[in-house]
Amino acid sequence: MSNEFPEQFVRWDTFSSALWYRTRAARYRLEGTRCGHCGEKFFPPRTGLICPVCHERCMEPYSCAQQGEIVIAALDDVGFPAVGYGDAMPRVQAIVRLDDGIHVMVDILQVADPTEVQPGRRVSMILRKHKREDTGAWVYGFGFVLNR
Amino acid sequence: MGKINRRVMMVGGTITPPGIPMDWTWRQMAAEVFWKALKDVNIPIKNVDLVACNYNDRAIADSSPGPQIADALGILPKPVVPIANACAGNGIASYVAWNAIASGRCDVVVSMGFARSDNYDAMEAMNTQGNYVDFDYMMGMTHINYGSMRDAYYRRKYDVPIAAAGQWAYQCNWYARRNPLAANYNKPMPVLDELCADTPEADRDRQATNRGGVASAMIFVGEELAKHYTDKPVLFDVAYAFRPPYIGNFFNYPVDSMKDYDLAELPGLMEAAREAYGIAGIQKEDVDLVQVHDLTGYEGMMAIEAIGVCGLGQGKDYVLSGGMSLESHCPINTYGGGPAFGHGSAGSDFQAGVLENFWQITGQAGERQVKNARVGVNTSYGTHHSLDVVGVVQKGW
Repeated sequence: MSNEFPEQFVRWDTFSSALWYRTRAARYRLEGTRCGHCGEKFFPPRTGLICPVCHERCMEPYSCAQQGEIVIAALDDVGFPAVGYGDAMPRVQAIVRLDDGIHVMVDILQVADPTEVQPGRRVSMILRKHKREDTGAWVYGFGFVLNR
Repeated sequence: MGKINRRVMMVGGTITPPGIPMDWTWRQMAAEVFWKALKDVNIPIKNVDLVACNYNDRAIADSSPGPQIADALGILPKPVVPIANACAGNGIASYVAWNAIASGRCDVVVSMGFARSDNYDAMEAMNTQGNYVDFDYMMGMTHINYGSMRDAYYRRKYDVPIAAAGQWAYQCNWYARRNPLAANYNKPMPVLDELCADTPEADRDRQATNRGGVASAMIFVGEELAKHYTDKPVLFDVAYAFRPPYIGNFFNYPVDSMKDYDLAELPGLMEAAREAYGIAGIQKEDVDLVQVHDLTGYEGMMAIEAIGVCGLGQGKDYVLSGGMSLESHCPINTYGGGPAFGHGSAGSDFQAGVLENFWQITGQAGERQVKNARVGVNTSYGTHHSLDVVGVVQKGW
């Protein structure tokens, strides 16, 4: 393992690049889906799936709101982070209610003082570098920052 | 709902004690409980019509586990239904067993499960995976983070003090000192004030104890056959329900039974309880004791609210007023709960509650015996309540 690639490389519970590829629109742009029949919005996207409200099957891409407010926050400091996230502990995580009513669980980034992250605080989505997968590729996806 | 042809009765069952030998394979664990459960009630292996077995797919790497389990148990060519549905998956196995008997297709069915998570080198990582892995674990959110978020939200919404979770853990430990099968049976009793402290150490002490490798088995038969095997059979019923697996969708999901609830309630458990109570022919007021699957006290309080022991948000009052104790009209977690009996995943998280209620109702619970217990309810969940199960056992005759 070199200094250039300090993260753990070899593990047998690995996720493939193909799996990451399939979820790219949702991870990069917070793209969910909306039912073309009843209009209900969903995240994670239900592409090709059946609507649980009207039971039709006509989901179309939907761009989720990229601003919202914190519903609840918690500090991740228990020592069992997801693989690839151990160098950034402790992390501040939150459930955010987007302005269109969709809820997501996210990292709150660029936090100087965790006590700043309180219910009701406004936040905005950013695209962030997450971690390096064992293919060597960096994984990107959404995160949120406090509005200043 | 279709026609139920006969009632289902439980005639026995067993669970491995804490600290099983390190060299036991998952096959040996499964064989141990299957063998012992049948021997205890003198049922020949050849009389078993079906086995429904839950396993944790993070714990074994063998593909097609059905024939492998059947081979380990020596019942080939009879069928095994393998089920991998997280910690509460034995609730589904028991549902399969129940249906096989209630329909009349089978007479004797064994519902069992095992967990041998240290088969994986990467256990620490795998055990923290999320529910909807693409959008939680793969983006840095784990199973444990889900739990922390749920507890924080429940506490905030219903103004639940840490003391209620401390009291919950204390009472679980009190029962565990009276249950030789509990992980904490021989350990020093914790101090209540220390359990109620607002520190990271106390928070860990209030959470579930890891039970390690564990397996268990329960035997169900048709009601007209029960008298051949025991003079103390109990009626058994079970139901389960699902909820969307992504934590964001716990908030007002647009389906009738869920849209009025959020992360602080368990509508899947409410749904499962409604069905289980209906099949069992009981009302919530009939319940004499309850065992819940709880990784934290907050989660335990949410569970007793969902099954009707108390109203939503009133779990803290029930616990702080002594509702869990033997003197209560409905004691909670006499088996020791997650904090003290221990978290056994597929190996025991549903089964431990059913077995405890079975032993309570048949008068075999020793120092933790609930007087005149006739109806016991237990709950279990998988992947943070995207699966919720309710079991009901009642005095047979």
